[in-house]
Amino acid sequence: MVNAMVEINNYSVQLGKFKLNQINLNIGEKEIFAVLGRTGSGKTVLLESVAGFYRKFSGKVMIQGIPVIDVPLEKRNIGFVYQDFGLFPHMTVFDNITYGLKIRKMDKGVQKERVDKMAEILSIGHILKQYPGTLSGGERQRTALARALILNPQLLLMDEPFSSLDPATKENMYEQINKIHDIFGCTILFVTHDFNEAQRMADRIGIMVNGELKAVRKSTDLFEWCQDEEINQFLGRNYEGSVHE
Amino acid sequence: MRWKISTFDFFEILTIIITFIVIIFTTALILAIVLKGIPYLGAAFYSEEVRFSIRLSLYTASIATLICMLLAIPTAYALTRTVFPFKKACQMIIELPLSMPYLVLGLSLLIIFSSDFGKALKELGFKVVFDKNGIIIAQTVVNLPFAIRFIRTAFEEVDERLEFISGSLGATKWERFITITLPLARNGIFSTIILTWSRALGEFGATLMLVGATRMKTETLTTSIYLNLATGDTGASMASATVILIISLLSLFLTNWIGRKNKQESRMKDVNRW
Ligand SMILES: Nc1ncnc2c1ncn2[C@@H]1O[C@H](COP(=O)(O)OP(=O)(O)OP(=O)(O)O)[C@@H](O)[C@H]1O
Ligand SMILES: [Mg+2]
Repeated sequence: MVNAMVEINNYSVQLGKFKLNQINLNIGEKEIFAVLGRTGSGKTVLLESVAGFYRKFSGKVMIQGIPVIDVPLEKRNIGFVYQDFGLFPHMTVFDNITYGLKIRKMDKGVQKERVDKMAEILSIGHILKQYPGTLSGGERQRTALARALILNPQLLLMDEPFSSLDPATKENMYEQINKIHDIFGCTILFVTHDFNEAQRMADRIGIMVNGELKAVRKSTDLFEWCQDEEINQFLGRNYEGSVHE
Repeated sequence: MRWKISTFDFFEILTIIITFIVIIFTTALILAIVLKGIPYLGAAFYSEEVRFSIRLSLYTASIATLICMLLAIPTAYALTRTVFPFKKACQMIIELPLSMPYLVLGLSLLIIFSSDFGKALKELGFKVVFDKNGIIIAQTVVNLPFAIRFIRTAFEEVDERLEFISGSLGATKWERFITITLPLARNGIFSTIILTWSRALGEFGATLMLVGATRMKTETLTTSIYLNLATGDTGASMASATVILIISLLSLFLTNWIGRKNKQESRMKDVNRW
C-alpha cells in the first residue's frame, strides 16, 4: 500500500497478564478496516494502541508516517468512540457533542448548526438537554458517535460502535457512516462482534486471537478456509465449504 | 428461608445497637461542651477577647486554606498525572508529616524560623515567630499533607480515559484539567476545602510552638480555650469551645450538603430507595 494512514510495525504491549503480541498492519487512506475476535482477544487494546494510549510498548505505530506518540494527543485528529462510550458525566448531551467545537472556539451559531445536523442524522434531537447518566444504552452510543463524528476526524476509531442499537437504527447508521466516509474521506478502524456488519462496512477484516492479529482478509473472503484451526472455529467453520450460522 | 432472615436480622440488630452506643458517646461529648458553654455564649460575644480570637481564627484559617489549596491542587495533579523520577519517594516525603505530632511539626517550624533564615525574613518585614503570620504558616504546614492526600484521591478517582477522550477531541492538558478533571473532582475538592478550613480553626499544637499564646495577640479560638482554662476562667473557655463546635457543625453540614450527588446527572433522580 502506497499511502498508509496507519502503519503498525512489530507492536507489542504488555498489560498485566495480557500481551498484545507483535502486531503488523497497514491501513490505507480512506480504508474501512474491521477487527473481529473473541472477547478478551485484545481488540480494544489494539484500538487504544493506534490512538497512542499506552506509554510502555515496543515496536511502532505511525499515523501518516509520524509515530503517533510524537504528536501531542490534542493534535492527532483522531476520533475515538469507546466501547463504554466515555461520555462526560457532568455535561449535557449537547455539551458532550460540542465539546471539541468549544475547545476550537468555534462560533456558537455554527456549533448549533452542526449539532442540529448531527442530531438529525443520529435522531438524538430530543435528548440534547439530558445528562449521560439518564440516557439509554443506544442513546449513549449515538451521543458518543456524534461527539466523535462532528469533528470530521481523519482517523475514526470505533469500539463496537453499533452494538446497542436496534436493527433499523443500525441499518441507518451504516448508511450514515458510509456517507460521512464518502464525504470526508476518513479512515475507519472499528471493532465489531458482528460478521455481517464487518462484511458490509469494511474493505478488509482482521481477526484477533489471544493478542495476535492472526489473519487479515478482504471482507469478501472473510469465511475463506485456512490452516489455522482457531480461526476456522471462530468463524464457525469446521470443514471446508460449510459455514455455521 | 426462615433461618436466613433471622440470622440476617440478628446481624442487622447488632450493627444498630453498636451504632447507638457510638451515638450516645458522641452526643455526650457534644452536650458536655454545649450545656456548659451556652450560658456563657452571650457574654462571650460581647467580650473583646473572644471577638478578637474569632476574627483571628477565621482570618488565619481562611488564608491558610487558600494557601493549602494553591499548593495541594498542582501537587496532587503532578503526583497523579505526570511522570517524573522518584515519584513514589516524593509522595512519601510529602505525606510523611501526616504521621508526625503537630507539636513536633511546630518545633521544626520554630527551629527554621528562629534561624538566620527566619531572622533575614524578619529584617525584610515578614515576621513569623510570635506573629499571626506564624499562625497561618503553622495551620498551612499541618494541613497541607492532608489536603494533598485528599485531592490526590479525588483526582485518582477521575477516569483517565475521559481525559484521554477529551484530549483526542482537541483539548490541551490544561483544558483537560479545567474541563474534565477539576469538575469531576469538585466534590472532593470542596470537602477538602471545608475540612482544611475547620482543621485549621482547630489547630493548636504547632501554633503554640511557633507563636506562643499571647492574649489579644496570637490568641486564636483554641489558644483562648487554653489560656482561659489555665487562668481558671472555665466559662470563657467553654464559650470559645462552643463557638468552635458551632463552626465544626456548620462545616460538617456543608460537606454533607456538597457530598450530595447532582441528581440531574443520574437516572436515580426519580427513585428514592429500593
Ligand atoms: N490495563 C490492563 N491491565 C491488565 N489487563 C488488561 C488491561 N487492559 C486490558 N487488559 C486485558 O487485556 C485483554 C484484552 O482486553 P481488550 O479490552 O482489548 O479485549 P477485547 O478484545 O476488546 O474484548 P471485548 O470484545 O470483550 O471488548 C483482557 O483480558 C483484559 O483483561
Ligand atoms: Mg473491547
